[in-house]
Amino acid sequence: MKVDKKIEDDGVIFMSVKNSEEGNSEKINDEDVTILAIESSCDESAAAVVKNGREVLSNIISSQISLHTIYGGVVPEIASRKHVEKMNGCIRAALDEANVTLEDIDAVAVTYGPGLVGALLVGVSEAKAIAYAINKPLIGVHHIEGHISANFIENKELEPPFVCLVASGGHSHLVVVKDYGEYEIIGQTRDDAAGEAFDKVARAIGLGYPGGPKIDKAAKEGNPDVFTFPQAKIADAEYDFSFSGLKSSVLNYINQAKMQGNEINQADIAASFQKAVVEVLVDHSIRACSQYGIKKLAIAGGVASNSGLRELMEKECADNGIQFYRPSPVLCTDNAAMIGAAAYYEYKKGVRFGMDMNAVPNLPLGDRERRFHAGKHSNSMN
Amino acid sequence: MKILGIDTSGLVGAVAVADGDTLVSQFSIQYKTTHSEILMPMLDDICRKINLDLKSIDAIAVAKGPGSFTGLRIGSATAKGLALALDVPIIPVPTVDGIAYNLYGLEKIICPMMDARRNQVYTGLYTFVPNTSEDKGCERSFDMQVIHEQFATSIDDIAEKINEIGKPVVLLGDGIPVYHDKLEELLKVPYSVAPMHQNRQNAAALVALAAKYASEGRTVSADEFAPDYLRLSQAEREAKENPNKNHELKRQDMRKAPGLVRIREMTPEDIEDAAILEKTNLGKEAWTRNQLTVAMTRDDTIYLVAEKAGRVVGLCGVQNISGDGEVTNVSVAADCRGEGIGYKMLKQLLERGRGIGIKDYTLEVRAGNTSAIHLYERLGFVSEGIRPGFYDDPREDAAIYWKRNQE
Repeated sequence: MKVDKKIEDDGVIFMSVKNSEEGNSEKINDEDVTILAIESSCDESAAAVVKNGREVLSNIISSQISLHTIYGGVVPEIASRKHVEKMNGCIRAALDEANVTLEDIDAVAVTYGPGLVGALLVGVSEAKAIAYAINKPLIGVHHIEGHISANFIENKELEPPFVCLVASGGHSHLVVVKDYGEYEIIGQTRDDAAGEAFDKVARAIGLGYPGGPKIDKAAKEGNPDVFTFPQAKIADAEYDFSFSGLKSSVLNYINQAKMQGNEINQADIAASFQKAVVEVLVDHSIRACSQYGIKKLAIAGGVASNSGLRELMEKECADNGIQFYRPSPVLCTDNAAMIGAAAYYEYKKGVRFGMDMNAVPNLPLGDRERRFHAGKHSNSMN
Repeated sequence: MKILGIDTSGLVGAVAVADGDTLVSQFSIQYKTTHSEILMPMLDDICRKINLDLKSIDAIAVAKGPGSFTGLRIGSATAKGLALALDVPIIPVPTVDGIAYNLYGLEKIICPMMDARRNQVYTGLYTFVPNTSEDKGCERSFDMQVIHEQFATSIDDIAEKINEIGKPVVLLGDGIPVYHDKLEELLKVPYSVAPMHQNRQNAAALVALAAKYASEGRTVSADEFAPDYLRLSQAEREAKENPNKNHELKRQDMRKAPGLVRIREMTPEDIEDAAILEKTNLGKEAWTRNQLTVAMTRDDTIYLVAEKAGRVVGLCGVQNISGDGEVTNVSVAADCRGEGIGYKMLKQLLERGRGIGIKDYTLEVRAGNTSAIHLYERLGFVSEGIRPGFYDDPREDAAIYWKRNQE
């Protein structure tokens, strides 16, 4: 994957992600399904054109992360405002780069949850308006299903069933992908998401925001065995996660050290903390594979780009005869290509959404909100 | 020229289609619905009923703000999506101007007021003046004159501006029922309130005004259009405010009424008193001067003190760790307990914390400290677990409390 970056006047980073291996020269055939996908669930405005679920014709990401850094986290109102400003530009760039026009588009897909409601609404409103204006089907996509589907883009041979660990700023799920669009959640976090714990610990040891990449970097300089932070086991749900005790334990250590006037070693804390998180994530994932008898394991979400997680996963998968899949780091962040990949399989199943589609900030995975599906309502299209 | 108009800036969700001088259709709902769920179905309904081919639309008019931030974005993103797909321009209409245009031809002062919360209204001042150059016999046409362009201000300020003009005024907008009593008290000129068919956002008035704008070339491209909120986001606002100025003001107030308890932000001058209070209450676990100074000066913390008769009698603080507010200190002087100082301080702390992006709050308390636990529960904290043997001297469990945002 190759990324062209351009920093705009307001500090927003405009990125075009290109697949260096594939030339996008093939003409679109009649039987091809070309989807325009839109994503705006957090602080990235993104649009992409995806052919047949796995071929990314364009992938545009407008990242606002630098605007939120001074606030120590994403400010929903600022994020939502930027989405309104940036989304049209992303869509236009995605169409241009894919060398298609809206007439070539077979469906418009959009993330409709989970995420920040104000941010989601921008993408949802744009997608509905465009789908309606070009008279093509509208497909709502679950953000996490998008992350899982990011694995399809670079691994053309990957097909369900497989186990997928989804770890990001808002989610920590262990999922069995039984078939396209069929997910069984076997484990999830009881408190903080893995990425959330990274952000909070990074903040507390003075690394700042965003925590994931900063801890990953600091950990490389530190000794992971200096501290033993607790790894919570949940008695009645063996695949569930809990990171709040781990986070508190790190914070307590820091407070104590400060009170005693001791220096804290950022790198050692980062390395020890990362090790504690990564070991739990890997342990749960590998055990799920063996218990469900599945030899394919994928990872997804922002935390999937953590180098410590990748290394340990690779090693453990190799030791246990499991085929390991992971998206390129740029496809682990929020992007619209993954939404287009997920939408393709929904499209094939005949899923169509109505014009009353709304953003659902706490949309559950698997058990999806069906009430916006076209057909139940009089305003159905196509 | 065919214009599609959209207004979702307030409680009203409205769509209208004008073809030249004809209002072909309008659909308006003022009800507790979600704009996101009804806007496109309303447009779809109109398209079906008037056999409208969207491709025949020449421009999209939209209320560009102010208004509900979310409402504005639903309307704007929809307008931008439609305009992109149909390859037409957008005609942005200032929301307050659009509301004023309901009263076309009125030569009194027109003052729309939208409730902007925080004791403010989005408002403006308008009137209609005859356009003498177009006189044909007895027929008059009117131009809307903007006396004061739309802005966000207090009721007192806009009432004063109306009084200064000294002419009869017609009020309209959803701010009127909210501030009616206050207006009755403040206004010194005869006023009336527009009837219900003219007193809210109205997509028909919006397209009529938009047609005028379009004829003057006041359109923008779909990509460059963005709503005009007239207000920064709360986070940006708080970042800009200078807290030191506020301290001085509050100190002056305080001297006037020394018997009262004042809650205010902790300043460097309070550190000495605060450290003594900590030490008296917490002994070995107390935070030192240094720790308090460091904690207070961080930008992700809020520290408040309660001051009574010139003395610091309480302190509390919170640190924002990625949206979770860890309440780090709560202390009230022994001789001032039972006066509700802890409650007042924490209540303010929780409210102010939202300003630095805190969503949920958490704290730890000695499991046997029933009066503190009672206080936290009154503030909506719920026990979510125990950390066994967390405290020393004497050894005691910590109860973990959370106050999660129910939004």
